[in-house]
Amino acid sequence: MWQRVNNVVGAATSPDLDAQLMLRVRDGDEESFRVLLDKHRNSLVHFVYRMVQDQPVSEELAQEVFLRIYKTRASYEPTAKFTTWMFRIATHLALNWLRDEKNARSEARLDEDRGGDLPAREVPDRKPTVEQRMVYNARLQEIRDAIAQLPEKQRAAVLMHKYEEMEYSQIAAVLECSESAVKSLLFRAYETLRSRLAHMVTGAPMISGSGVSGAKR
Amino acid sequence: MNCPLLAEDTTDVLLDYSAGRLDAKRTAMLETHMLSCVRCAAFRAEQTEVWAALELWEPEPVSMGFNRSLWQKIEESASASWYRKLVDALRFGAWKPVFPLAAAVFVVAAGFVFDHQGTGTPAPGILNGSGVSMNEVDQVEKTLDDLQLLRQFDAVSAGVTSGQTDSVPM
Repeated sequence: MWQRVNNVVGAATSPDLDAQLMLRVRDGDEESFRVLLDKHRNSLVHFVYRMVQDQPVSEELAQEVFLRIYKTRASYEPTAKFTTWMFRIATHLALNWLRDEKNARSEARLDEDRGGDLPAREVPDRKPTVEQRMVYNARLQEIRDAIAQLPEKQRAAVLMHKYEEMEYSQIAAVLECSESAVKSLLFRAYETLRSRLAHMVTGAPMISGSGVSGAKR
Repeated sequence: MNCPLLAEDTTDVLLDYSAGRLDAKRTAMLETHMLSCVRCAAFRAEQTEVWAALELWEPEPVSMGFNRSLWQKIEESASASWYRKLVDALRFGAWKPVFPLAAAVFVVAAGFVFDHQGTGTPAPGILNGSGVSMNEVDQVEKTLDDLQLLRQFDAVSAGVTSGQTDSVPM
C-alpha cells in the first residue's frame, strides 16, 4: 500500500497532478484522496485559521471542505485547478462562519483564545525572555487584529496572495471576480495594512531582547 | 515605464516586487523607475515592511487527530440517515438558500389555494354549480313579478279606456 502511495506522491510533482488524483478518487481510489489530504491539509487549515482566527473551528471547517470534496467526488470534472476549487469551498465556508457566528458566545471564545492559543514561537538558539515573549505576543495580536479588521473579501485575497502565494488569476477564480478586481482588493487591503503595521518592523526587530519599543499598543 | 501607482490595478508590479515574484526584466525596469519616483520608492519600503510583519504570523500546527476525525466523519456521512444528512446540510450556512426557496413555495401554494377556492364548497348564497347567487335569483323573480303586475295594470287601464269607447273583454 505505501509503495502505491509513494508512487502517487512521486507523481505529484507534475502540474495538474491534483486533478489526476481527484479523477482517481472519482473512480474509487481512496489512497489518492489520502494523498490529496496529506498534501493540502496544512495549507488549508492555516488559511481557514487566518480567516476565522479560531483553531478548533478552522480544523472543523477544513474537515468540512475535505468532506464535501469526498462526497462530490462522483461528479468531479477537472474544469478548474483542484486548489482553486478547494479554496473556493474553504472561502465560502469561512465567510459563512464569520457572518453566522458573530454572537456573544463566539466573541467570548475568541477573547479566551487570544490569551491562550498563541503559538509558542521559539528563538532557534536561545530561549526568549518573558519580555521578548510579551513583545512577540503584542505584535502578533496586532497583526491578527489588522487582518481581522479587513473586509472579508480583502482578507481572503491577502491571505491567498501572501501565505498561499496564489496568482491573481487563481485568487480571482476563488473569489469569483475579475483579476482587475483582485488587484484593486489587494491594493486597498495592503494600503490599510501598511498604515497599521508598517511601524512594526521599522520600530524594532522581532524578538531581539530590546524590549517593547516597536509595539505601539 | 509608467508609474504603477497611477492606477490601482497596475500596483501589482510593486506588490510582486515586494514579494520577490517579479521577473528579472520587470525588476530592472521598476528599480530604474524608483530611482526617480519618490512615491513608488516609499510604497516599496512600506510594503516590504508589511510583508515582513505578516511573516511573523505562524499558525498553530494541525492537530494529530485531524485525519482520523475526518475519516470518521466520512464514514458517518456514508451511513447517515436522511434526517442526519439534512441536519448536516443545515450546518455551516448551507440552509441559507432554503429561505428564498421556502418563500417561493409559499407564494405558489398561496396562489394555488386562491385560484382553486372557487371550485370547492360553494359559499352561502351561491346555487350549487350555477355560479348564480340567491340574491340574483330573488331580484330576477321580483322583477318578473313587477313586470306581471305592470302588464295587468296596463291591461286594466286599457280596458277602462276602451270601455269608455269600445267594450273589450279582458
